[in-house]
Amino acid sequence: MSSPEPLFDYEARLAACARGEQSALRDLYVQEGPRLLGVARRLVRDTALAEDIVHEAFIKIWNGAAQFDPARGSARGWMFSVTRHLALNLLRNQARETPFSEDHEMPANEDDGFDAQAHSGRIHRCLEQLDPQRRSCILHAYVDGYSHAQISQRLGTPLGTVKAWIKRSLNALRECMG
Amino acid sequence: MTTESAQERDELAGEYVLGTLSAQQRIEVQKRLPNEPDLRAAVDAWERRLLELTDYAEAQQPSALLWPRIERSVERLTHNTPITSWWNLLPLWRGLSAAGLAATLVLGAILLTQTPPKPNYLVVLVAPQDKAPGWVIQASNPREIQLIPLGVVEVPADKALEFWTKADSWQGPVSLGLVKPGQTLSVPLDKLPPLQPNQLFELTLEGANGSPIGKPTGPIQAIGRAVKVL
Repeated sequence: MSSPEPLFDYEARLAACARGEQSALRDLYVQEGPRLLGVARRLVRDTALAEDIVHEAFIKIWNGAAQFDPARGSARGWMFSVTRHLALNLLRNQARETPFSEDHEMPANEDDGFDAQAHSGRIHRCLEQLDPQRRSCILHAYVDGYSHAQISQRLGTPLGTVKAWIKRSLNALRECMG
Repeated sequence: MTTESAQERDELAGEYVLGTLSAQQRIEVQKRLPNEPDLRAAVDAWERRLLELTDYAEAQQPSALLWPRIERSVERLTHNTPITSWWNLLPLWRGLSAAGLAATLVLGAILLTQTPPKPNYLVVLVAPQDKAPGWVIQASNPREIQLIPLGVVEVPADKALEFWTKADSWQGPVSLGLVKPGQTLSVPLDKLPPLQPNQLFELTLEGANGSPIGKPTGPIQAIGRAVKVL
């Protein structure tokens, strides 16, 4: 289970970081470090690179703690956003837009192990309402960091179709989730 | 940009969070975010909607070196230098080697006064600041060690001393339990691999029930490495 610990007060830890309490940053690291590393690792597909990203993310979390605005979202969500965008910047800047090489590791089966039923939240129920291929587009993009071109190649679907699917799927998800 | 509709802005925000924008598009969005509350709000909404998809990435335990690295960077940023990432800290070990003379004297005294069963390993635990010897560990057999106080230290009422060890090849330190000041403590090591030369031992000040996370969190009270006795 990867649901967040309900008794863990992320906002209070972040406020303590803003006051300069390093033990609070350590608490956040102990609490979410493995999940953040897992997210970064899945995106950049390299453990050492993923640790560099988590390192940078915690420095951003430390430096940004004072500016964090709880009205804009949860502290936990912000930690994931910081980490994901660092990884995505790296992925895109590295011009990994090149097609997959022969040895690129990919899950074998068509559904790629994305089992929406194994997860409980609302996004998963909304995802289940999407056509399986469109659901794959969303998950390959968000979880694997695939570009439009990579998804197109992965699914064997024309690039224009993938772009249209993603646009419509995002609209459908927004309708479903509010 | 001026003709962007709310719909277009929301689609841009969605693809930004999803990750499908190009490097150039990402840079443009990131430049606009601080100045455009509408775009910011749209991105925030997408971050909240999609956050749970992070569940699909399997958690991965970071290497033992990652936290000390983060800590060093943060300390560099905040210009203070508490010693917490001790097992990687070269200056500390340089300092401790200077404490060799004190250690030798204490070991000598113990060997003379106790006329053993001869210990196979000895450790002198010294205070990190002034290198004053505070405890001695002796291991007559590799399965049990004794922690012997050389004096009485004061521990605040709501705190406890926790005893830790780490061999060079281990990922992180392992707790050997809580220590009462002024008392000799025997610790069976049957849960751990046999003692190794250079194995690290230390006492840290933790909450009354010990460290809540199974790793040292409080200040080091005493620290030393195992020396094999020939």
